[in-house]
Amino acid sequence: MPEAPAATDPHRSEQPVGNDPTGEPSDPSDACDPSDPGRELSDEELSTLFATDALPYLDQLYGTALRMTRNPADAEDLVQETYAKAFAAYRTFQQGTNLRAWLFRILRNTFINDYRKAQRQPRFQPTDELGDAQMLDIETRSAGGSRSAEIEALELLGDDDVSAALAEIPEEFRTAVVLADVEGFSYREIADIMDSPVGTVMSRVHRGRKALRGLLDKYAKNQGLVGAWGGEES
Amino acid sequence: MSCGRPHETPCSQVVASLSAYIDGEVGAEEYRLIAVHLTECPPCEHQRQEVRRVQALVARASAGIATPEGLRERIRVTVVSDTSHRRPGNDQE
Repeated sequence: MPEAPAATDPHRSEQPVGNDPTGEPSDPSDACDPSDPGRELSDEELSTLFATDALPYLDQLYGTALRMTRNPADAEDLVQETYAKAFAAYRTFQQGTNLRAWLFRILRNTFINDYRKAQRQPRFQPTDELGDAQMLDIETRSAGGSRSAEIEALELLGDDDVSAALAEIPEEFRTAVVLADVEGFSYREIADIMDSPVGTVMSRVHRGRKALRGLLDKYAKNQGLVGAWGGEES
Repeated sequence: MSCGRPHETPCSQVVASLSAYIDGEVGAEEYRLIAVHLTECPPCEHQRQEVRRVQALVARASAGIATPEGLRERIRVTVVSDTSHRRPGNDQE
Protein backbone atom coordinates (compact mmCIF):
# COMPACT_ATOMS: atom_id res chain seq x y z
CA MET A 1 0.00 0.00 0.00
CA PRO A 2 1.44 3.35 -0.94
CA GLU A 3 2.33 5.74 1.80
CA ALA A 4 -0.16 8.54 2.10
CA PRO A 5 0.20 11.89 3.72
CA ALA A 6 -1.65 12.25 6.98
CA ALA A 7 -5.25 13.25 6.54
CA THR A 8 -4.82 16.17 8.84
CA ASP A 9 -2.19 18.81 8.61
CA PRO A 10 -0.86 20.82 11.51
CA HIS A 11 -1.24 23.98 9.44
CA ARG A 12 -4.96 23.46 9.36
CA SER A 13 -5.32 23.35 13.11
CA GLU A 14 -3.53 26.67 13.33
CA GLN A 15 -5.77 28.23 10.70
CA PRO A 16 -9.36 27.10 11.20
CA VAL A 17 -11.32 27.00 7.98
CA GLY A 18 -14.68 28.73 8.05
CA ASN A 19 -17.69 26.65 7.18
CA ASP A 20 -19.70 29.29 5.35
CA PRO A 21 -20.44 27.74 1.96
CA THR A 22 -21.30 31.12 0.46
CA GLY A 23 -17.72 32.25 0.96
CA GLU A 24 -18.72 35.71 2.11
CA PRO A 25 -15.57 37.76 2.58
CA SER A 26 -14.83 38.87 6.10
CA ASP A 27 -14.58 42.48 7.11
CA PRO A 28 -11.36 43.87 5.55
CA SER A 29 -10.49 45.52 8.84
CA ASP A 30 -10.15 42.07 10.38
CA ALA A 31 -8.35 40.42 7.51
CA CYS A 32 -4.85 41.55 8.39
CA ASP A 33 -4.76 39.92 11.81
CA PRO A 34 -3.32 36.41 11.39
CA SER A 35 -3.79 35.62 15.06
CA ASP A 36 -7.55 36.02 14.86
CA PRO A 37 -8.90 32.46 15.09
CA GLY A 38 -12.30 33.51 13.74
CA ARG A 39 -11.16 35.03 10.49
CA GLU A 40 -11.83 33.28 7.25
CA LEU A 41 -9.07 32.30 4.86
CA SER A 42 -8.71 34.39 1.74
CA ASP A 43 -9.17 32.67 -1.61
CA GLU A 44 -5.42 32.80 -2.10
CA GLU A 45 -4.72 31.23 1.29
CA LEU A 46 -7.33 28.57 0.62
CA SER A 47 -5.72 27.83 -2.76
CA THR A 48 -2.34 27.38 -1.15
CA LEU A 49 -3.78 25.14 1.54
CA PHE A 50 -5.65 23.05 -1.03
CA ALA A 51 -2.57 22.65 -3.20
CA THR A 52 -0.52 21.61 -0.18
CA ASP A 53 -3.07 19.22 1.31
CA ALA A 54 -5.03 17.79 -1.62
CA LEU A 55 -2.65 17.66 -4.57
CA PRO A 56 -0.39 15.01 -2.97
CA TYR A 57 -3.28 12.55 -3.45
CA LEU A 58 -3.22 12.96 -7.23
CA ASP A 59 -1.41 9.69 -7.98
CA GLN A 60 -3.80 7.69 -5.82
CA LEU A 61 -6.87 9.36 -7.29
CA TYR A 62 -5.63 8.90 -10.85
CA GLY A 63 -4.87 5.22 -10.27
CA THR A 64 -8.36 4.59 -8.93
CA ALA A 65 -9.92 6.73 -11.68
CA LEU A 66 -8.13 4.62 -14.28
CA ARG A 67 -9.55 1.46 -12.71
CA MET A 68 -13.02 2.98 -12.71
CA THR A 69 -13.04 4.35 -16.26
CA ARG A 70 -10.64 1.81 -17.80
CA ASN A 71 -9.17 4.38 -20.14
CA PRO A 72 -6.53 7.06 -19.53
CA ALA A 73 -8.30 9.96 -21.22
CA ASP A 74 -11.47 9.55 -19.15
CA ALA A 75 -9.42 8.97 -16.01
CA GLU A 76 -7.57 12.24 -16.56
CA ASP A 77 -10.80 14.16 -17.13
CA LEU A 78 -12.40 12.51 -14.11
CA VAL A 79 -9.53 13.47 -11.83
CA GLN A 80 -9.49 17.07 -13.08
CA GLU A 81 -13.21 17.34 -12.52
CA THR A 82 -12.83 15.79 -9.07
CA TYR A 83 -10.24 18.39 -8.08
CA ALA A 84 -12.38 21.20 -9.47
CA LYS A 85 -15.37 20.05 -7.41
CA ALA A 86 -13.24 19.47 -4.32
CA PHE A 87 -11.69 22.92 -4.57
CA ALA A 88 -15.08 24.56 -5.07
CA ALA A 89 -16.31 22.85 -1.88
CA TYR A 90 -13.06 23.07 0.07
CA ARG A 91 -14.18 25.98 2.22
CA THR A 92 -16.90 23.76 3.66
CA PHE A 93 -14.57 20.80 4.23
CA GLN A 94 -14.58 19.94 7.91
CA GLN A 95 -11.15 20.32 9.40
CA GLY A 96 -9.95 17.21 11.16
CA THR A 97 -12.02 14.84 9.06
CA ASN A 98 -10.56 12.48 6.49
CA LEU A 99 -9.46 14.56 3.51
CA ARG A 100 -8.26 11.54 1.53
CA ALA A 101 -11.59 9.71 1.92
CA TRP A 102 -13.43 12.96 1.12
CA LEU A 103 -11.53 13.29 -2.17
CA PHE A 104 -12.19 9.66 -3.07
CA ARG A 105 -15.87 10.14 -2.31
CA ILE A 106 -16.00 13.09 -4.71
CA LEU A 107 -14.13 11.00 -7.30
CA ARG A 108 -16.61 8.16 -7.01
CA ASN A 109 -19.68 10.45 -7.07
CA THR A 110 -18.33 12.29 -10.09
CA PHE A 111 -17.73 9.01 -11.84
CA ILE A 112 -21.24 7.74 -11.08
CA ASN A 113 -22.96 10.98 -12.05
CA ASP A 114 -20.93 12.12 -15.03
CA TYR A 115 -19.08 9.15 -16.47
CA ARG A 116 -20.69 5.82 -15.84
CA LYS A 117 -23.94 6.80 -17.55
CA ALA A 118 -22.08 8.39 -20.44
CA GLN A 119 -19.86 5.42 -21.11
CA ARG A 120 -21.49 3.23 -23.70
CA GLN A 121 -19.24 0.26 -23.26
CA PRO A 122 -21.31 -2.90 -23.05
CA ARG A 123 -19.69 -4.09 -19.84
CA PHE A 124 -20.86 -1.07 -17.93
CA GLN A 125 -24.09 -1.63 -16.06
CA PRO A 126 -26.20 1.25 -14.85
CA THR A 127 -27.52 -0.37 -11.70
CA ASP A 128 -26.23 -2.48 -8.86
CA GLU A 129 -28.75 -5.18 -9.75
CA LEU A 130 -27.33 -5.57 -13.24
CA GLY A 131 -23.82 -5.50 -11.79
CA ASP A 132 -24.83 -8.31 -9.47
CA ALA A 133 -26.23 -10.32 -12.37
CA GLN A 134 -23.02 -9.81 -14.31
CA MET A 135 -21.00 -10.86 -11.27
CA LEU A 136 -23.05 -14.01 -10.85
CA ASP A 137 -22.30 -14.87 -14.45
CA ILE A 138 -18.55 -14.47 -13.88
CA GLU A 139 -18.74 -16.48 -10.67
CA THR A 140 -20.67 -19.26 -12.40
CA ARG A 141 -18.27 -19.42 -15.32
CA SER A 142 -15.19 -19.46 -13.12
CA ALA A 143 -16.54 -21.99 -10.61
CA GLY A 144 -16.06 -25.74 -10.84
CA GLY A 145 -14.29 -27.41 -13.73
CA SER A 146 -10.77 -28.67 -13.50
CA ARG A 147 -8.46 -27.96 -10.61
CA SER A 148 -7.32 -24.40 -10.19
CA ALA A 149 -3.88 -23.17 -11.05
CA GLU A 150 -1.25 -23.28 -8.36
CA ILE A 151 -1.09 -20.10 -6.38
CA GLU A 152 2.50 -19.63 -7.47
CA ALA A 153 1.52 -19.84 -11.14
CA LEU A 154 -0.43 -16.62 -10.73
CA GLU A 155 2.83 -14.84 -10.00
CA LEU A 156 3.84 -15.53 -13.58
CA LEU A 157 0.95 -13.45 -14.88
CA GLY A 158 1.82 -9.94 -15.96
CA ASP A 159 0.33 -6.73 -14.65
CA ASP A 160 -1.60 -6.42 -17.91
CA ASP A 161 -3.35 -9.70 -17.15
CA VAL A 162 -4.28 -8.48 -13.69
CA SER A 163 -5.57 -5.21 -15.13
CA ALA A 164 -7.59 -7.11 -17.73
CA ALA A 165 -9.12 -9.31 -15.03
CA LEU A 166 -9.98 -6.25 -12.96
CA ALA A 167 -11.59 -4.65 -16.01
CA GLU A 168 -13.83 -7.69 -16.45
CA ILE A 169 -15.59 -7.45 -13.12
CA PRO A 170 -18.42 -4.95 -12.54
CA GLU A 171 -17.39 -1.49 -11.44
CA GLU A 172 -18.81 -1.58 -7.92
CA PHE A 173 -16.87 -4.77 -7.15
CA ARG A 174 -13.73 -3.54 -8.88
CA THR A 175 -13.76 -0.22 -7.04
CA ALA A 176 -14.37 -1.90 -3.67
CA VAL A 177 -11.39 -4.20 -4.24
CA VAL A 178 -9.13 -1.37 -5.39
CA LEU A 179 -10.08 0.85 -2.44
CA ALA A 180 -9.31 -2.02 -0.05
CA ASP A 181 -6.24 -3.60 -1.65
CA VAL A 182 -4.53 -0.64 -3.29
CA GLU A 183 -5.60 2.27 -1.12
CA GLY A 184 -5.93 0.40 2.16
CA PHE A 185 -9.22 1.98 3.16
CA SER A 186 -11.25 0.31 5.92
CA TYR A 187 -14.67 -1.10 5.07
CA ARG A 188 -16.25 1.83 6.95
CA GLU A 189 -14.32 4.32 4.81
CA ILE A 190 -15.18 2.43 1.62
CA ALA A 191 -18.83 2.43 2.68
CA ASP A 192 -18.69 6.22 3.02
CA ILE A 193 -16.87 6.66 -0.29
CA MET A 194 -19.25 4.38 -2.20
CA ASP A 195 -22.36 5.41 -0.26
CA SER A 196 -23.13 1.78 0.58
CA PRO A 197 -23.72 -0.18 3.79
CA VAL A 198 -20.63 -1.79 5.35
CA GLY A 199 -22.16 -5.23 4.81
CA THR A 200 -22.44 -4.52 1.09
CA VAL A 201 -18.81 -3.44 0.99
CA MET A 202 -17.76 -6.62 2.75
CA SER A 203 -19.66 -8.69 0.21
CA ARG A 204 -18.29 -6.75 -2.77
CA VAL A 205 -14.69 -7.04 -1.61
CA HIS A 206 -15.08 -10.75 -0.97
CA ARG A 207 -16.87 -11.55 -4.22
CA GLY A 208 -14.61 -9.23 -6.19
CA ARG A 209 -11.46 -10.99 -5.02
CA LYS A 210 -13.04 -14.39 -5.59
CA ALA A 211 -14.02 -13.47 -9.14
CA LEU A 212 -10.54 -12.10 -9.78
CA ARG A 213 -9.09 -15.39 -8.57
CA GLY A 214 -11.28 -17.26 -11.04
CA LEU A 215 -10.40 -14.96 -13.93
CA LEU A 216 -6.67 -15.04 -13.18
CA ASP A 217 -6.92 -18.81 -13.00
CA LYS A 218 -8.45 -18.80 -16.47
CA TYR A 219 -5.68 -16.55 -17.81
CA ALA A 220 -3.02 -18.79 -16.26
CA LYS A 221 -4.54 -21.84 -17.92
CA ASN A 222 -4.83 -20.10 -21.28
CA GLN A 223 -1.16 -19.18 -21.11
CA GLY A 224 -0.13 -22.71 -20.16
CA LEU A 225 1.04 -21.65 -16.72
CA VAL A 226 -0.91 -24.37 -14.91
CA GLY A 227 1.50 -27.07 -13.88
CA ALA A 228 4.47 -24.77 -14.33
CA TRP A 229 5.19 -25.25 -10.67
CA GLY A 230 4.55 -28.97 -10.74
CA GLY A 231 2.57 -29.26 -7.52
CA GLU A 232 -0.91 -30.55 -6.98
CA GLU A 233 -3.47 -28.51 -5.18
CA SER A 234 -3.89 -29.46 -1.54
CA MET B 1 -13.72 -27.92 -0.39
CA SER B 2 -13.24 -29.29 3.09
CA CYS B 3 -10.59 -31.39 4.75
CA GLY B 4 -13.40 -33.62 6.06
CA ARG B 5 -12.54 -33.15 9.70
CA PRO B 6 -14.97 -31.63 12.20
CA HIS B 7 -14.25 -28.04 13.17
CA GLU B 8 -15.59 -25.70 15.82
CA THR B 9 -16.37 -23.29 12.97
CA PRO B 10 -17.65 -24.76 9.68
CA CYS B 11 -15.53 -24.31 6.55
CA SER B 12 -18.35 -22.47 4.76
CA GLN B 13 -18.46 -19.85 7.51
CA VAL B 14 -14.68 -19.42 7.47
CA VAL B 15 -14.52 -19.07 3.70
CA ALA B 16 -17.33 -16.50 3.72
CA SER B 17 -15.43 -14.40 6.25
CA LEU B 18 -11.92 -14.81 4.81
CA SER B 19 -11.71 -11.37 3.21
CA ALA B 20 -13.00 -9.64 6.32
CA TYR B 21 -10.60 -11.71 8.44
CA ILE B 22 -7.63 -10.76 6.26
CA ASP B 23 -8.67 -7.11 6.28
CA GLY B 24 -8.96 -7.02 10.06
CA GLU B 25 -12.70 -6.40 9.82
CA VAL B 26 -13.93 -9.16 12.17
CA GLY B 27 -14.33 -9.05 15.92
CA ALA B 28 -11.82 -10.58 18.34
CA GLU B 29 -13.78 -13.78 18.95
CA GLU B 30 -14.49 -14.41 15.27
CA TYR B 31 -10.84 -13.70 14.51
CA ARG B 32 -9.79 -16.32 17.06
CA LEU B 33 -12.20 -18.92 15.72
CA ILE B 34 -11.03 -18.41 12.13
CA ALA B 35 -7.36 -18.39 13.12
CA VAL B 36 -7.78 -21.70 14.94
CA HIS B 37 -9.70 -23.16 12.00
CA LEU B 38 -7.00 -22.15 9.54
CA THR B 39 -4.33 -23.97 11.53
CA GLU B 40 -6.44 -27.15 11.38
CA CYS B 41 -7.78 -27.03 7.83
CA PRO B 42 -5.33 -26.98 4.89
CA PRO B 43 -8.00 -26.31 2.20
CA CYS B 44 -9.24 -23.19 4.00
CA GLU B 45 -5.66 -22.08 4.64
CA HIS B 46 -5.02 -22.57 0.92
CA GLN B 47 -7.95 -20.28 0.14
CA ARG B 48 -6.59 -17.70 2.55
CA GLN B 49 -3.30 -17.77 0.68
CA GLU B 50 -5.16 -17.38 -2.61
CA VAL B 51 -6.90 -14.25 -1.39
CA ARG B 52 -3.59 -12.83 -0.16
CA ARG B 53 -2.02 -13.59 -3.55
CA VAL B 54 -4.84 -11.85 -5.41
CA GLN B 55 -4.46 -8.85 -3.11
CA ALA B 56 -0.75 -8.70 -3.81
CA LEU B 57 -1.26 -8.97 -7.57
CA VAL B 58 -3.83 -6.16 -7.59
CA ALA B 59 -1.51 -3.95 -5.55
CA ARG B 60 1.47 -4.79 -7.77
CA ALA B 61 -0.42 -4.07 -10.99
CA SER B 62 -1.72 -0.78 -9.63
CA ALA B 63 1.69 0.33 -8.39
CA GLY B 64 2.79 0.45 -12.02
CA ILE B 65 0.20 3.05 -13.01
CA ALA B 66 1.87 6.31 -13.93
CA THR B 67 0.02 9.59 -13.59
CA PRO B 68 0.17 11.43 -16.96
CA GLU B 69 2.96 13.91 -17.22
CA GLY B 70 1.73 17.44 -16.74
CA LEU B 71 -1.59 16.53 -15.10
CA ARG B 72 -0.47 17.82 -11.71
CA GLU B 73 0.54 21.16 -13.20
CA ARG B 74 -2.66 21.42 -15.24
CA ILE B 75 -4.73 20.94 -12.10
CA ARG B 76 -2.60 23.41 -10.23
CA VAL B 77 -3.08 26.02 -12.94
CA THR B 78 -6.69 25.43 -13.96
CA VAL B 79 -8.20 24.51 -10.61
CA VAL B 80 -6.09 25.86 -7.80
CA SER B 81 -4.57 29.00 -9.27
CA ASP B 82 -7.78 30.24 -10.85
CA THR B 83 -9.61 31.49 -7.77
CA SER B 84 -11.78 33.96 -9.70
CA HIS B 85 -14.69 31.56 -9.95
CA ARG B 86 -14.84 31.19 -6.20
CA ARG B 87 -15.64 34.80 -5.49
CA PRO B 88 -19.28 35.51 -4.63
CA GLY B 89 -21.23 37.13 -7.43
CA ASN B 90 -18.73 36.10 -10.06
CA ASP B 91 -20.43 34.01 -12.70
CA GLN B 92 -17.29 33.37 -14.64
CA GLU B 93 -16.81 29.68 -15.47
